[in-house]
Amino acid sequence: MQGNTPKIKPGIFNNHPDSRMITNMNSCVHCGLCAESCFFYLATKDERFMPGRKADLVTSVYRRYCTWQGKVFPKLVNARELNGEFASEMTDLLFGACTMCGRCSMHCSTGVDVPYLVRLGRTMLSEMGFVPATLQSTVNAALESGNNMSIPLTEFLDTIKWMEEELMDETGDPLSRIPVNEKRKEILYTLNPREPKFYPLSISAMAKIFYFAGESWTLSSEMYDVTNYAYFSGNNKEAAIIAERLRKEMKHLDCNTLVLAECGHGTRAFRWEAPNYLKQQFPFKVISSVECIADYIRKGRINLDPDKIKVPVTIHDPCNLVRNGGVINEQRYILKQFVKQFIEMEPHGIDNFCCGGGGGQLAMSEFNERRMKAAVIKAEQIRQTGAKIVVTPCHNCIDQLTQVNIYYKLGIKLMTMAEIVAEAIIPHKTNF
Amino acid sequence: MPSIEIEGRNFEIDGDGFLLTPDIWNDEVARLFAGYDGITELNEKHWAIVRIIRKSWEETGMAPMIRVICQQTGLKLREIYELFPLGPARGACRVAGLPKPDGCV
Repeated sequence: MQGNTPKIKPGIFNNHPDSRMITNMNSCVHCGLCAESCFFYLATKDERFMPGRKADLVTSVYRRYCTWQGKVFPKLVNARELNGEFASEMTDLLFGACTMCGRCSMHCSTGVDVPYLVRLGRTMLSEMGFVPATLQSTVNAALESGNNMSIPLTEFLDTIKWMEEELMDETGDPLSRIPVNEKRKEILYTLNPREPKFYPLSISAMAKIFYFAGESWTLSSEMYDVTNYAYFSGNNKEAAIIAERLRKEMKHLDCNTLVLAECGHGTRAFRWEAPNYLKQQFPFKVISSVECIADYIRKGRINLDPDKIKVPVTIHDPCNLVRNGGVINEQRYILKQFVKQFIEMEPHGIDNFCCGGGGGQLAMSEFNERRMKAAVIKAEQIRQTGAKIVVTPCHNCIDQLTQVNIYYKLGIKLMTMAEIVAEAIIPHKTNF
Repeated sequence: MPSIEIEGRNFEIDGDGFLLTPDIWNDEVARLFAGYDGITELNEKHWAIVRIIRKSWEETGMAPMIRVICQQTGLKLREIYELFPLGPARGACRVAGLPKPDGCV
């Protein structure tokens, strides 16, 4: 077929000319600076993993279908037809060797938005049915059941009741509650389904913080899932369905502020991407729970005991919350209030390395071995700090680092921000 | 198709090490998988957790909520995390021969 324009072109090229797409497709100057920014490349030195190479897979398809040179002389300009064989190669590299963490874009000499291109590639692959089965299964679970682990409603409610008892033990107040489906509260709080399913103590931890802050808040049993795995699969229609459910529930319960649970991609997908999926601005406030907790400290609504955490603590910055989400200082502000030995990883903040489980990697069994090998960069970063506790405000990072902890024998304890704050909170009487 | 060999036996697994043919699971397989994760001996508490997970999966096709595991075994949450350091999903469900649960686990 070389030399003839293929008849069917990927759907993403059918829309009117998209200046953001065209600019990013044409800006790479092949300087190679991105290589050293990518942990997949650094851990393996495999040239296929250079971010520029991954981006070029996507732009080579663009050239084939959308430029005259690519249509007439595809081989000369490295323009490639998106057939099954090439789609398999793209799947392996765009799904299996990239977490869309965006560190390469920070180091790119021309500022190419590589993760944006990778996601465009994923969108093309999703149109062809090439999303890895395990990732699609997580998206399907969310679409079909309302949460990505298919937790039945009664099981969810039983777990919340159970955590309410845990909360009563923690506060010593038999009237402490975890409200569900209550209307017109200040805050609607969300969860990552892995909390009710397997790790519910982070729910009672956040409830304890709300309790002592005297907050008016509620959970929803209808739509509590903060995740949106369709952001990772590249299917915008499915991403919009999931985001719309949360918007609708927020409207139904008529709360003022939506507080997104500790979930990097979930925060990004709803706060920054959903207004694009749904083509509207939200009439309510959307913040991450890290910002919510920092605000309580700043306003004196909660007080923390500086003698509670005695071991060295470091923080892992979730890419989608920090580099790609703008929440950079709040987590540090919180920890520095009460942690005596706070040590930064190097690099950290917006330059931090991904945990290796982002971009849907953790859900994709297909690439487990590569994911663990590439995590050596993060493992060594953690080891260098000498920290005994690694705090990370992202449940996905927690699970990846739990596996990394054992695989690389780090001997650390992983905690969410709510968990470490709840442990250090100084109980006081509240009027609520 | 990935596979692992443990003590001379070969198992077909998914990329994450979960058994691809859950039907061949038995106590011996559980012991081998646990050993592979560094749990040298499955004690009574391990077995109680594994049996509940297995039963739930055989009856409903899903891993049970951790609440059900705690309720039926009488174990505290933190004990379960200590017994299976890789967690209820990658640790306990894998030893119980289930496919990998969906989501951030």
